[in-house]
Order: sequence, then C-alpha cells, then structure tokens
Amino acid sequence: MVKVIKGVLLQCDPTVKQVILNLDERDHFIIEDLDETHVFVEASCVEKVKKSLEDLLEENTYKFESQPPNNKD
Amino acid sequence: MSKLYILMDDHGHMVMNTTFREQFRNALTGGGEHQSFGVPSSSVDRHRPENVVAFLDNHATKQWESILHYMVGTASMQTPKKAVRDLLVRSGLMSLRLDNNELKITNKGFQFLLQDVNTQVWAFLLQYLDYAEVLQMDLVEVLNFFFMLGSLELGQDYSVEQLTDTQKQVVEDLANFGLLYRRKRSSRRYYPTRLATTLTSGTSALLGRHPTPSTVNPVAGEDIATEQGFIILETNYKLYAYTDSPLQIAVLNLFCDLKCRFANMVCGMITRDSIKEALTNGITAEQIISYLNSHAHPQMKKSMPVLPLTVIDQIRLWEMERNRLQASEGHLYEQFRCQADYDNVLRYAQTLGVVLWSNARKCMFVVTEVGHQQVRAFIQKRIAQRKNGATNTLESKTYSI
Repeated sequence: MVKVIKGVLLQCDPTVKQVILNLDERDHFIIEDLDETHVFVEASCVEKVKKSLEDLLEENTYKFESQPPNNKD
Repeated sequence: MSKLYILMDDHGHMVMNTTFREQFRNALTGGGEHQSFGVPSSSVDRHRPENVVAFLDNHATKQWESILHYMVGTASMQTPKKAVRDLLVRSGLMSLRLDNNELKITNKGFQFLLQDVNTQVWAFLLQYLDYAEVLQMDLVEVLNFFFMLGSLELGQDYSVEQLTDTQKQVVEDLANFGLLYRRKRSSRRYYPTRLATTLTSGTSALLGRHPTPSTVNPVAGEDIATEQGFIILETNYKLYAYTDSPLQIAVLNLFCDLKCRFANMVCGMITRDSIKEALTNGITAEQIISYLNSHAHPQMKKSMPVLPLTVIDQIRLWEMERNRLQASEGHLYEQFRCQADYDNVLRYAQTLGVVLWSNARKCMFVVTEVGHQQVRAFIQKRIAQRKNGATNTLESKTYSI
C-alpha cells in the first residue's frame, strides 16, 4: 500500500541544493528530489556531501590577505 | 513569597509568618543564637597579613586565574588540587583524555571562559552543590553556609569554631577555589575574599585585572570595583586589547588572530579563520559578541552602538554559513494507494508531530526516526482493518446468496 524508504532529509537553500544535485551526478546518492529546498538522500553519504560542500564554498570565498604577496623576480 | 507561606493574606493586610518574623528580627539585630552573618573571630590574628584587602584580592585573583589557566591550557604556576579537577570534570567543563590521562577542555568549558566572573563563580557553586549531594553532605548546611558567605565583610576574619563538620569541609573546598583564605589547613579562622562577598551583589568580583588607576586603591564599599573594559574593535576588524593578563590574552586567542604583543597591549585581527575555529570549538557568535560588548573599552562605550555593526553582522554571517545544510534522519513515505490514504496517515502523523516535510501533490511525506515506529503501526492496523473489512463483506455476500 505504501512504500517506505529510510534515509536522511537534507534541508538547505536553493543554491546549496543545486550544488548537491551536481555532486550527485558523480556519486548518485539522492533517493528522491523533494522540492526546491529539500532532498532525500542515503544516510551513508551525508558526511561526504557536507565536506564537499564546505570545500566548494571555501574555494569561492575571498579572504583578506594582511600582507601583499612578495613578487620575487 | 506568598507561595512559600512567608507572607500571608490576613483580611486584606499582608502579614509575615510569625516564626519567620521572629527569626528575621533576631538575625537583623544580632540577638539569639545564630550565625546568619558569620561569627567574627574573637581572638586577634597574630599572622594577620598587612593590607588585608589587597592581599585577599591578590590571593583570590591568583587562585581563580590558575583554575582558568589550567582550563585554557596555558602553562601556569600551579595545577589546581584534585578536588577542583574533579569538580571540573563533573560539571562537564573538561573531559579526561584517554591517551595521557590529562584533562582537556570541552565545548561547555569554552563557553564558560567567556562568561563574567560572577556567573562563573555561581556556576561552580551550583556544581559543588550537586557534588555535595552525591557525597551525602547535608545540603541544608551547605546552603546555609553559602548564604552566610554572601553577607560577610571583606577584610574581617571569621572563626570556624561555630561551624558544623559539613560546613568545615565546605570551608576547605572553597579555599581551593579562592573564595576563602586560610593561612593553613588547621587554622581556626578564615578570611572571605572579594569572590565570596560579591556573591550576592552586582559589582565585579575580581579587582586588579587591568592596569587602570581607578582600581588600584579600593575604598571600603566596593563601588569603584567595576570591571574596566579594555577591548577596542575597529571597523576594519582589527582588535586592540589593553591588558597584560595572560588569561585574557588566552581567551582572546580563542576567537581572534593575535598578531603582536606589547608591554600593555596586544593587537590582532578578527578573521574568518579565527571565528571558524572558535565556532568549531563550540563557542557561539552570540557569546563572542556579548564578551566583546561587556569588555569594550570605555572609549568604545561612548559611541552607540558600542561595537561596529559591520563586524558584528559578519561574525553572525560566518556562523550562519556553517548551518547552510541541515540533515535529519527519517523515513520517506511514498506511493500511497489513493489520496484518502495519504491524507489519513498524514493527519495521524501530524497529530503526533513527527512530520518533517510533506507534499500533497506528490503524495509523499517524511517522518522522523522516532515517529516512524508509530506511523508504521498505524498503517499496519489500517491494513489489517481493511483486510478484515474485506473478508467481512465477502462473508456477508456468501450469506446473502
């Protein structure tokens, strides 16, 4: 009558969800894409997703360098 | 107070309970046998230190800071006694590291460090009360002693003769924290330090933390003892702290990237990395902001708002960055046989309050781990009912034939 699947519900903003969909193309962990802000995924890959997300966001942040890099000729 | 039956309503007048009234009068006028405000020692102390108040302040500061230093991990002069370390572990401020049997600070410990001294002292005392209960010490006597402590006078020595055994034990334990001073374990008198006398007052509990002239000569009547702020925060995220106390520098190091240190000042920057590290250690942005606020330099306090909004908002944003993704374990229910089934089960789950997400169009919803058992039982019951209903109609059909 009903199908029940065990997993993890991820709640995020639409930007992050697109990033997750991107990651899914490589690893295929999404069980169901629920709506703009929710995704249902397998429990085992949550840590990996969090780490990859953090790395990606880190890449795109601008950090203030206190000292300008030395140009050595 | 009326709930405690101390004040009662008597034909429109508020009347104080008789027993309470008598004892209150006794305590205030000093009559009768009691020690609500401590028993000053009758004999003169031969070893009374010169300049008692300054000595006590010094002693209290040293003791308290050595405990905090031990928590932060800076190499300090003395490791606290075993009783103190036990209390630290029990209150969850530090935990035992398995590899080398040493204590390591926990998330709660970090939060504790950022609080002001009065809060810290009370937190310790409350933990001590819990501990006392485990040790089966008489709680009433311990509480009695605490309340008495709050009303003692700084600089006056008090005798231990009239205290019960439990209370004598409490005196010894509190001396370890720096709330009391005793020359040696067997001495018959004790001096309360500022940490003890300000237990129930709003003024600051520790003096001499900052090299400011107003706190050098404390007058009896501790109005001057307000903790001077020492942090200046600029809109370019640079931070200057006018302090030479290793403890405060260590606390600043928790969330700030300190760049250089001078004789009376340290300067550093609040960076994304330094705040991220603090957040990973369990400190919240609110705590950092309230710490900065309460220790802001008087010069900063003149402008409104005290701290630059740019920096405050950015700290909060960095904290929110960490929470972009929220994960919750659960079960997805989909492929219902019909809309009515979906509605029924969803309504049941909603009354239980376990629905994480639902979508009527797709006919699916997510339930928490905890709720899953109950919802599954509900569904199975309905399936059983439906089967029974089906067999019943079948039977009735055969009968009618």
